[in-house]
Amino acid sequence: MSQIIISVGREFGSGGRVIAEALAERFNIPIYDRHLITEIAERTGLTPEEIEKYNENPKKKIISRRVRGYSNSIEDNIAEMQFNFLKEKSDSGESFVVVGRCSETKLKYNPALVSLFVLADMDAKIKRVMEVYELSEEDAKEFIRKKDKKRKRYHNYHCSGHWGDSRLYDICINSTCLGIDKTVDYLENYIRARSDI
Amino acid sequence: MTASQIFAVVIFVAMFILIVMDKIERHYVTLGSGILTLVVVFGICMRSGTAIWDTIALKGFATKDFWYQVTESESKGINWATIIFIAGMMVMVEGMAKAGFFRWLCMKIAFLVKCKTIPVFITFMIMSAVLSMFIDSITVIMFLAAVTIELSQLLKFNPVPMILSEIFCANLGGSATMCGDPPNIIVGTSLGYSFGDFLTNTGLVAGISLIVSIVFFYFVFRKELVSENSANIDISKLPKPSEAITNKRDFIASTVIFGCAVILLVTHSITHLTVATIGLFIAIVTLIAFAKDALELLKKVDYKTVVFFIGLFIVVGGLEETGILEIIADFIEKISGGDAKLMIVIILWVSAIASAFVDNIPFAATMVPVIQSLAATSGVALPTLAWTLSIGTDIGGSATPIGASANVVGTSVAAKNGYPIGWGKYCKKLAPATVIVLAISTAYIFMRYL
Repeated sequence: MSQIIISVGREFGSGGRVIAEALAERFNIPIYDRHLITEIAERTGLTPEEIEKYNENPKKKIISRRVRGYSNSIEDNIAEMQFNFLKEKSDSGESFVVVGRCSETKLKYNPALVSLFVLADMDAKIKRVMEVYELSEEDAKEFIRKKDKKRKRYHNYHCSGHWGDSRLYDICINSTCLGIDKTVDYLENYIRARSDI
Repeated sequence: MTASQIFAVVIFVAMFILIVMDKIERHYVTLGSGILTLVVVFGICMRSGTAIWDTIALKGFATKDFWYQVTESESKGINWATIIFIAGMMVMVEGMAKAGFFRWLCMKIAFLVKCKTIPVFITFMIMSAVLSMFIDSITVIMFLAAVTIELSQLLKFNPVPMILSEIFCANLGGSATMCGDPPNIIVGTSLGYSFGDFLTNTGLVAGISLIVSIVFFYFVFRKELVSENSANIDISKLPKPSEAITNKRDFIASTVIFGCAVILLVTHSITHLTVATIGLFIAIVTLIAFAKDALELLKKVDYKTVVFFIGLFIVVGGLEETGILEIIADFIEKISGGDAKLMIVIILWVSAIASAFVDNIPFAATMVPVIQSLAATSGVALPTLAWTLSIGTDIGGSATPIGASANVVGTSVAAKNGYPIGWGKYCKKLAPATVIVLAISTAYIFMRYL
């Protein structure tokens, strides 16, 4: 099978991660999301909890500084480790699915990349977050707002393109329209058509 | 306030904010601000071609004083001597790094003390300070931190205390000489001081502070540095220092060039060669010695820093030409009531606190004309104020992870290898050490100069 890298950007509560997992299963390839944290933990000797604390977090600008490509921000260093890890995997010819981590930009140089962005209607996202995290409607709404704000800041700091901007991805899809399963079917067909698998 | 003063201040403040925000690379920020200063402040508001010409300061190249200086002289506008010296030293350092000099030196010293943790800890602190007297602290820490982590993995100790101590000593060593830290180069070239002037003034207090710091760090970190398995380590299995040398010929050449650079710097008040001449000479000799790789070395020069300096000097020139820096000097004189001791305390501690949070290079470049003006009006000797400013900006930078370049590089190298150092961990140990050294420096300046 020729190399295929599926990058899944997602709004919080859109089901993007579930879709990414389903795609990994259908193409029988590994997925790097939380697994990425474990891999980095193994390489550095940090605990997964320590990495999780700084994972996909934008750096705190006022207390951070960058000198000749070096940064004192732990968030920046963890992000860079993840980008390097993804590049290594990409350059090794391995096929995989990756969730977030600016992968649509960082791996754009590889022609095997198919980049997706999953969004959803606000009502559907709230419903999903209420179920998964057992939150009230108000709390779910606030949680979504906070998480998306954080992802947006993280992405826009590390990339020149804007998070969720359709011009950055090969395909942007609203998971509310078809539901999770049919969205996965649709994306699978699209990826197979792109990759001749 | 005149329009030109308002615009000069607005451009300067906006530049500082943009540098802190780190959204746009800092060299673009200073260069853009510099161009704005030339166009808006000098061109539109002041309509002064002379101010533009004085600030760009290109005519300096044609003067004998720029290359060979018998009497001390002060410079204005873009400090080309600083820029040429820094660029020249960058070429030399790239050559040394390529030949494996720094890694060899670190491994050699570790082997000389039989790779025992505490002796390595102490010798690396001294090495960090001594190397930083001649080489930029970024390069020193880049190599020292990497070797420290490598040794910590082999000798099974926690590298964080050692890296923190190395960072602190690098900043301390940098304060000892004219070429150790960019603020000193700016102070030295702007006010016409020599390497020897710095060594016998800031160098002396840096030496005293280094001894105190080594004792302080030893007591603070000794428990963290003890490893359970250190007795069982077979050092014959560790990588040999000679393995660090990538090319013997290049290694010898870079060592000789470094030696020449040190001699030229130490003797420049006797030879009358300026730092610009030394920087240019060292760069040319390095490029000739590394003829095959000359292009590669030139490409590795950090041009962003060079551009950063050019833009910065223009913006500060804007403040100087419009008289803003005189206003600041008058303000300092007023609040100190002409009391020299209070003036020293204000300059030292305000410089230190500011440098702990913002880049100390723009701060020093701004403050040099301020202390010149202050010396002229208050009667306090200019050298006293210059040493105070140098010590304040150099030492203050050690207090936080963002205060100096070495801190950023050291903590970054540690984090990339699985040892994240947050603000809490950093400041808990290094902020008290900074305060101790500043207190020593205050007492030293009072006793020696007042």
